[in-house]
Amino acid sequence: MTDADTMTVFDRRLHRRRRDRSAPTWTQFDFLFRDVAERLDERLDDIRRRFPVALDLSCRGGALGAHLRRRPGLTTLYGCELSPALARQAAATGCYDAVVAADEEALPFGTAGLDLIISNLGLHWTNDLPGALIQACHALRPDGFFLAAMFGGDSLIELRHCLMDAEIAVLGGVSPRISPFAGVRDAGALLQRAGFALPVVDSDTLTVTYDNPFRLFADLRGMGETNSVLDRRKVPAPRALFVEAARLYAERYAGPDGRIPATVQVIYLAGWAPHASQQRPLKPGSAQFRLEDALNPAAVPGSRPGSDV
Amino acid sequence: MTDTKSDPGSNVDPKLLEILVCPLTKGPLRYDPAAGELISDRAGLAYPIRDGIPIMLVDEARPLDSDPITDALPPR
Repeated sequence: MTDADTMTVFDRRLHRRRRDRSAPTWTQFDFLFRDVAERLDERLDDIRRRFPVALDLSCRGGALGAHLRRRPGLTTLYGCELSPALARQAAATGCYDAVVAADEEALPFGTAGLDLIISNLGLHWTNDLPGALIQACHALRPDGFFLAAMFGGDSLIELRHCLMDAEIAVLGGVSPRISPFAGVRDAGALLQRAGFALPVVDSDTLTVTYDNPFRLFADLRGMGETNSVLDRRKVPAPRALFVEAARLYAERYAGPDGRIPATVQVIYLAGWAPHASQQRPLKPGSAQFRLEDALNPAAVPGSRPGSDV
Repeated sequence: MTDTKSDPGSNVDPKLLEILVCPLTKGPLRYDPAAGELISDRAGLAYPIRDGIPIMLVDEARPLDSDPITDALPPR
């Protein structure tokens, strides 16, 4: 994106390469995506509406596909994935009617063609998240539903601290090594700004435990989730940095069994494309009855002139 | 990955073609089954279709004024 208003935090090409590279071994590392796919599916159970045409945005290897395929009322399921290599894998699951390779920041879907857009841990690498949400809102039919799971600000908090302290010790400075993630409050404001009605945001915190921090590093690589911050230190990090970070991690966080925890915060964003049938607040000053009368029926109406709203 | 060129004749879901637009201009796309490309006249780009997957990435698209034969060869 060349838009000067867009803050460019992530190197999208590099992230795409990382996702491409994750494709051959994807199914060994997709446990988090499978877990959150189940949670997203459960959230759809709470909604009585049926969604005939659905899009799995950032579908990666297709963890969500089988869940969506089984949903009653679904007739067409599309997948959209930044990495062509992963898109091929998603297509190979047979759960999707079609899969396209596309950038979440430049969606190739026309106006009002979809009933549901659902995204499983894919939007946290977008530079222009507001833009991506606006495009999603446009691609939905009126009263279409948007549901996204994103990594939130508390994710990898242990690793963030350990890498920072290790980098100070080993290299004498700090550089961005863990992505800045969106916070819960920001997410709500973003949904509203993108034009979604009835926005709802909440979060889940999961803890994944590992034998040692190197297993965590390997998992992040396997998920294609390693550092793609544009401003990252461009020279390869010395091995000593990760050894030191791992040592600090084990020292500070290891449980009695010696395993280390990694916190993963998942933020769920939900909203509806605006439609006339949705409830909305009345205009201020349009009330027909005084609040005072409702709260205190004994009060004489009109006893306090000028106080009625 | 080895399959850098479009594969002509690969089938695209017709319903998908109805809702796909150019990601750059949000304008209409023209399907060229012979070349296996989706063409955005407004953007002057042809998006390849590989293994039945439309690659709607601007930096993977072929500029329309260039020669499709040489462009179909893998870059590098």
